[in-house]
Amino acid sequence: MTEVTYLEAVREGLTGALRDDERVFLLGEDIGHFGGAFGVTAGLYDEFGPKRVLDTPIAEEGFVGAAIGAAWQGERPIVELQFADFISCPFDMIVTVAAKTHWRSGIRLPLVIRAPYGGGIRGGPFHASSPEGWFVGVAGLKVVCPGTVADAYGLLRAAVEDDDPVLFFEHKALYRRLRGEAPAGDMRTPIGKAHVAREGADATVITYGSGVQLALALEHDVEVLDLRTLWPLDRDAILASVAKTSRALVLQESPRAGGIAGHVFSVLAQDGFELLDAPAALHAPPDTPVPFAPELEDAYLPTAASLAAALEELLAY
Amino acid sequence: MLTEVPVETRVELFRLICLQRAFEDRVMALYRQGRISGSVYTGRGQEAVAAAAGLALGPDDVVAPLNRELATHFARGVTPADVFRNFLGRGDGPTQGRDGNMHFGVPAKGVFPLVSMLGDLCPVIVGAALAFKRRREPRVAMTFLGEGAFSVGDTHEGLNLAGVWHVPAVFVLQSNGWSYSTPASAQMVNTNLAERIRGGWSIPAERVDGTDALATYEAIRAAVERARSGEGPQAVECVTLRGHGHAAHDDARYVSAELRASFPDPLERLAAQIEDADAIRQAAAEEVAAALAEAEAAPAPDPAQLERGVYAMPV
Repeated sequence: MTEVTYLEAVREGLTGALRDDERVFLLGEDIGHFGGAFGVTAGLYDEFGPKRVLDTPIAEEGFVGAAIGAAWQGERPIVELQFADFISCPFDMIVTVAAKTHWRSGIRLPLVIRAPYGGGIRGGPFHASSPEGWFVGVAGLKVVCPGTVADAYGLLRAAVEDDDPVLFFEHKALYRRLRGEAPAGDMRTPIGKAHVAREGADATVITYGSGVQLALALEHDVEVLDLRTLWPLDRDAILASVAKTSRALVLQESPRAGGIAGHVFSVLAQDGFELLDAPAALHAPPDTPVPFAPELEDAYLPTAASLAAALEELLAY
Repeated sequence: MLTEVPVETRVELFRLICLQRAFEDRVMALYRQGRISGSVYTGRGQEAVAAAAGLALGPDDVVAPLNRELATHFARGVTPADVFRNFLGRGDGPTQGRDGNMHFGVPAKGVFPLVSMLGDLCPVIVGAALAFKRRREPRVAMTFLGEGAFSVGDTHEGLNLAGVWHVPAVFVLQSNGWSYSTPASAQMVNTNLAERIRGGWSIPAERVDGTDALATYEAIRAAVERARSGEGPQAVECVTLRGHGHAAHDDARYVSAELRASFPDPLERLAAQIEDADAIRQAAAEEVAAALAEAEAAPAPDPAQLERGVYAMPV
């Protein structure tokens, strides 16, 4: 078995897409000869050249807009944002142009925006955010978030082959810490489908991204539902799992009021009320920006111990 | 310069200008009668720019018009009935009633739909031009920028990208004096946009009288051909005066009579250089009347279809 890191799986996904489809090209800041801020695109400039791996000025609104225009004209651009925090800059381009164009005109915009998100690298308020929740509920966008090595590859390949704009949130703390079997080249993770990462009886931990490994490490008899796609949300998978376990805990790295939790609770309140033996629980950081100092960030982020405590509280209800 | 524009092009420019004028006069009347929901934006006084830009493009080129460039749509082959369908929110219109007035595109004609956020379409057009350059296709992508958009960061990011990537993008600058009720002098210190484009982004930019349809056409056509032949992004600043308010509810009382008197009507100006001008005007009025009748008879949108098309590939 060949083992690769989560970062290498993303790179393999980019490489495969570039090899398989002439229309695919990458654009972003410092992704060329430098290989990207995290090294995800290292080597791709040498293999594919400056026309396929395009360095941009520091202008996220501009190059996301340009990716939209290129997608309109039949290309399949993959944008890299250096940090997901910077997605606030092209927010307008994403929600105004990318999201609404197909519905208004029938124009397809096959476009992927990769955004390294999340804490654990002492990034502080501007380099550690989990802003994926801003795009949940936006008609026309798809939001995916791999929590495994396989999905880092499979979701990326699926996103590139999708005809809608896809926001691909990859967790930067998993880049080098998470290892797994190298995915087969033709492996694809379907967009819009959650995955039962582990079966269990006593509760369902509903999570994604960095939460998946944390939940899988629990010693309790719990089911782990990896959402994989945050929007459109796989309501059926949530309800099917909770029908089995009767208890639900949402684990996310986004602050309590952000992320996916509100939408999951909405599904449970509307359609899962009678399935539940206990109020749905939430384990998430407080509603503050991500702090810098190790003592603060370590207390801010969910840990194995804090998750276990939250789960035990739910199980004791 | 006058003699360089062939007579058939001159006539076509005039026809497009008359069509925009007749359409917008009719749609303003409909608005005042309460027969148009939402709002109405016109390009009164700027029709020559819209017509010239549209005619300067080739059949395989693409364009993102704003809300004062109706004649650009017509030059691409969008019909007055299609546009009325959008104003009236008809189910078989370009947006199927999902968007109104000038907020529409016609993909089959290479027209990207207008969004209200000024400046957004500047980088989008640069991206379309990048696609053409990547594939070595001799095609050009065009959009328009007014003084309002010139205050928006997206515009500057787009112009910068166009220059750095050296793509076949053409920017038509609509200097009509006003951004809603705010004069250009309150938007920027140097209101000579062509000078700023040349100096700031090293993009060639000519400044023309946008009420002179022939000069405007010549300048934009030359810019389009330079872009097509690999000379990189181009710009043309067209100086006009916005003839109506920002939208139909705005009577533009803040524009003085003296200022208005200092700008000729582009339609009358070209009419003086066209044979059979009256017949062309008359034909435009008749085409608009027939188009309105056609659009009014079109079906209403079906609310049951509203959620279709949110995604190209629904999950």
